[in-house]
Amino acid sequence: MKQKRFRTFYLSLFFIILYVPVLSVVLYSFNKSSSTAYWAGFTLDWYRELFNDRIILEAFKVSIEVALLTSVLSAIIGTASAIISIYVTKSTEKTINGLMFLPLIVPEVALGVSLLIFFSSLKLPFGTFTLVISHSLFCVPYVYIMVQLRLKEINISIIEAAKDLGATRWQIIKTIILPLVMPSTLTASLLALAMSLDDVIISTYMAGPTTTTLPVHIFSMMRVGVTPKVNALCTLFLVGTFLLIGINQIIGKKGGNIFEN
Amino acid sequence: MFLGKKAEPYYSLKRNSGKGYNMKRVKQNLPSLPIIAYFSVLVGIPLLLVAVLSFLSRDSLGNIIFEFSLDNYKKMLDPVYLRVFLNSFSLAIFTGLITLLIGYPVAYFTASLERKMRSFVILLIMLPFWISSLLRTYGWTILLGNDGLINNILLFFNVIDKPLNMMYKFGTVLTGTAYMLIPFMIISIYNSVDKLDRSLLEASYDLGGGKWKTFFNITLPLTMPGIARGFTLVFIPALGLYFISDLLGGGNTMFIGNLINNMATRGRNRPLASAFAIGMILLVILVLYIYGRVAKNNKESLYQ
Repeated sequence: MKQKRFRTFYLSLFFIILYVPVLSVVLYSFNKSSSTAYWAGFTLDWYRELFNDRIILEAFKVSIEVALLTSVLSAIIGTASAIISIYVTKSTEKTINGLMFLPLIVPEVALGVSLLIFFSSLKLPFGTFTLVISHSLFCVPYVYIMVQLRLKEINISIIEAAKDLGATRWQIIKTIILPLVMPSTLTASLLALAMSLDDVIISTYMAGPTTTTLPVHIFSMMRVGVTPKVNALCTLFLVGTFLLIGINQIIGKKGGNIFEN
Repeated sequence: MFLGKKAEPYYSLKRNSGKGYNMKRVKQNLPSLPIIAYFSVLVGIPLLLVAVLSFLSRDSLGNIIFEFSLDNYKKMLDPVYLRVFLNSFSLAIFTGLITLLIGYPVAYFTASLERKMRSFVILLIMLPFWISSLLRTYGWTILLGNDGLINNILLFFNVIDKPLNMMYKFGTVLTGTAYMLIPFMIISIYNSVDKLDRSLLEASYDLGGGKWKTFFNITLPLTMPGIARGFTLVFIPALGLYFISDLLGGGNTMFIGNLINNMATRGRNRPLASAFAIGMILLVILVLYIYGRVAKNNKESLYQ
């Protein structure tokens, strides 16, 4: 009994500390005063100001565009890689695993700088293209891992049955494997969307002179100083995130949800 | 219907295990070529470029001079820069320790909850992954600032009579980094605790082992793989999350991430930034090597 009470106390305290910083950002986005020193009353002015800020709207557009493209690209490459990995020899599969592992273990700053050097030596213009390509590098591995987990659960007898009935490899992939992994692909592509929308470090190096993403812009705003406009922006971001999770809960019922992987 | 967890996995279907380079094997591996090319070109080559660049230098305008030199690495041994490495290293180590100390009980208690409650609590632990990391960092500036929430509350209740100075310290950066990364630690440990064979604990109790004795002799050693994995997953990003040290540390303490970022952007010294990036990667490799040693018997990979 005593132990149970302590457990409840500890977990509650932990979750309070985990969520208070987030909630305080939300709270102060409604504060009339621009300082956090006191509460001057409820207002929506900061949100209004946000929608009149052209740079923010522009950055938002870039972010959404990049995130959607990244998500689709990563879903395709990641799913294809996972399916291919079951047909190749063991050593080749290990090579693919190793390469996928690389962007996850190299710290983001190092990866960002290396991509900066790479793309600038190719004289490629920085912008949407470089952003999408670089984001795909840390999103594809997650899609790959999640689809692979699903593939491991496929019952071998249905594949054998299809083979016995004369299905070609391509038919098996199209009619059996793809429909079975699709829920995982969708869940993983939402994760890719969220990771792309959240990325600060790599985007800092990949953004072009006129195409910055929202997090890069928010970061530069935060560096200059605290204004409730940043809070309002973050709050809207939070709402967007929860919408994503909601979508996932609806479409992801079959494939398990994001929190299980 | 088509998915049986216990069914023999499709995985065991495929392969032709013959050795040597015959046409059949080449044909079998051909489809993987585009993926291997994609990652080799976009990750492999950039990292090689960084390695090459780290041996070059630049002129006063930031242009690269193509001449081999070890100057960048010699510079890294300068006490000022060694200090930066030490700062980052201790930040990463302390982040690992703090997330372990706070996260272990969370994982342990979560595993002991009833099923329904447990999945709710896991959801609460994972949710921050989906919340913007800038927002989560920024939250701490609102809490800890001189006119922040904590100071306001303490002043209001007359606990203090002038605001505490909590921002822009090593501890502030540590708090923010640990806060950002603790879910990784908890989930890793939780996976280990969840797999724990509870009958071993009961056996220990039956044999007269006390609560603490059982914990230190059975639970802790058996959850070691989870701890090692959590530590690695926390340590690596802790080295490079420069936006946290920027926002919460205010540049008072220099970390490798900030240094690389400054050198690569404002400093226009890409060769030196490259050398530091290589140093950072070597540190990561060292940690992964240690992890490999510790988790030798553990077949799970780092990112499962």
